[in-house]
Amino acid sequence: MAFPDTGISVSLEVRQGQVAHVAMRSGRLVQASRLLAGRGPNQVIALLPTLFALCGTAQALAGAAALEQAAGLSATASQRMARRYLLLVECLSEHAQSILRDWPALLDETPRLEAVKPLRPMVGAAKRALYPDGDWARPGGGRLVVDHGAVLEQSRLLADLVARLFGDLDDWDDGLDDFRRWFAQGDCVAARLLRRIEAEGLGGFGATPVHFMSATGPRDLAERLEDDQSGDYVARPDHGGIALETTPLSRHHGHPLVNALMAEHGSGLLPRFAARLVDVAAALREVEELVQDLCDEPFIPGVMDGTGVGLGMVDAARGLLAHRVELQEGVVRRYQILAPTEWNFHPDGAFAQGIRGAAAGPDLVRRARLLAAALDPCVACTIEVHDHA
Amino acid sequence: MCMAVPSRIVSMANGMATVEAFGTTRTTSLMLLEDEVAVGDYVILGVGGNFAAEKLAPELAAEALAYLAEVLDSGQA
Repeated sequence: MAFPDTGISVSLEVRQGQVAHVAMRSGRLVQASRLLAGRGPNQVIALLPTLFALCGTAQALAGAAALEQAAGLSATASQRMARRYLLLVECLSEHAQSILRDWPALLDETPRLEAVKPLRPMVGAAKRALYPDGDWARPGGGRLVVDHGAVLEQSRLLADLVARLFGDLDDWDDGLDDFRRWFAQGDCVAARLLRRIEAEGLGGFGATPVHFMSATGPRDLAERLEDDQSGDYVARPDHGGIALETTPLSRHHGHPLVNALMAEHGSGLLPRFAARLVDVAAALREVEELVQDLCDEPFIPGVMDGTGVGLGMVDAARGLLAHRVELQEGVVRRYQILAPTEWNFHPDGAFAQGIRGAAAGPDLVRRARLLAAALDPCVACTIEVHDHA
Repeated sequence: MCMAVPSRIVSMANGMATVEAFGTTRTTSLMLLEDEVAVGDYVILGVGGNFAAEKLAPELAAEALAYLAEVLDSGQA
């Protein structure tokens, strides 16, 4: 019983010198969460971070939020702050891994793996610093005992990491000229990548009319998930027939720098990569604010034997992640997950739209890889070109 | 879904490991692992499978593998 390939395969059909058709095949196991039905809430919470280990914090916290809503529980402000802190540390770790491990390959460079190695363990360290019993995703909230020394040290490590990622770029509000100067002269991988994109005239590559998802998700999300007996919606979601985008660009399109880049390049590569960097800077700033406010809270057992429906949403590194649960007398009857990759790599989503119509040429696969990296799917993405010219 | 498939290390040499999951073997780098690992340990692989991302406790690996086997059997994959 071989395990299937769970990646995304993209096939670009070239006719008359341009990409005429984009075929996307996803092997992602979007229906797999159905089998969580029949389990108790605590079993589900224990299983989620292992099954989805790469963004396990976001997955388990979305699950906890959904289960709490279904059971009529609400997490306190202290628990919400602690969870937000964990989510931000995972978000920073995910972005930094991508920048240090994957972006060098886009420049035909070899990544410095010793810089990547400490990133993933940071997420586990953050959990241990807040929840010594390991119950960080317990519905209702776990026993929160803040190790202030460890948390402070971690926020310093994260600030060092971000400083290494960005070199001497420290003020994100100075505007486009300073940003351009930074990437024109900077020596870090992020500056080199942006410099190359601009030098190759690819700053606007992949730009399309944008359909950004709002921070609270599409208005019809709860209803569409409820009606989705076939699983078609979680595999290929839409809102009014449109595959919305949920990415760092949709999160930060109002940021002055991203906004200024979009005025020049629309939703092309340069604004997309810049929005990833803005996301990192914003997450670090929020971590530094939260560190001051984290506080202890004893564990109060929550009653999870209720009946109800819950929708939990979290802002994960790659976009909005939604979990929906139907709980009946304390047992999960239905469990659905809708991840950002299903929106952004929808057959008609931001990636497909961005690459459709692109000029053919020997570097088409490379341009497509850049666009895929900017949109950052959470699985491997293979790209092939079929030239029918 | 970006599911993590626990893979068992069947051999190791020079920072690389051959790992097995559901009868399929592949080669992956151990360079990014924080923990020491040995043959028989379970790891999960990062995006694309080129690097092992994390060592997994055997009981967690068993639980996740049982769930994934159920997913395959049910045709939900």
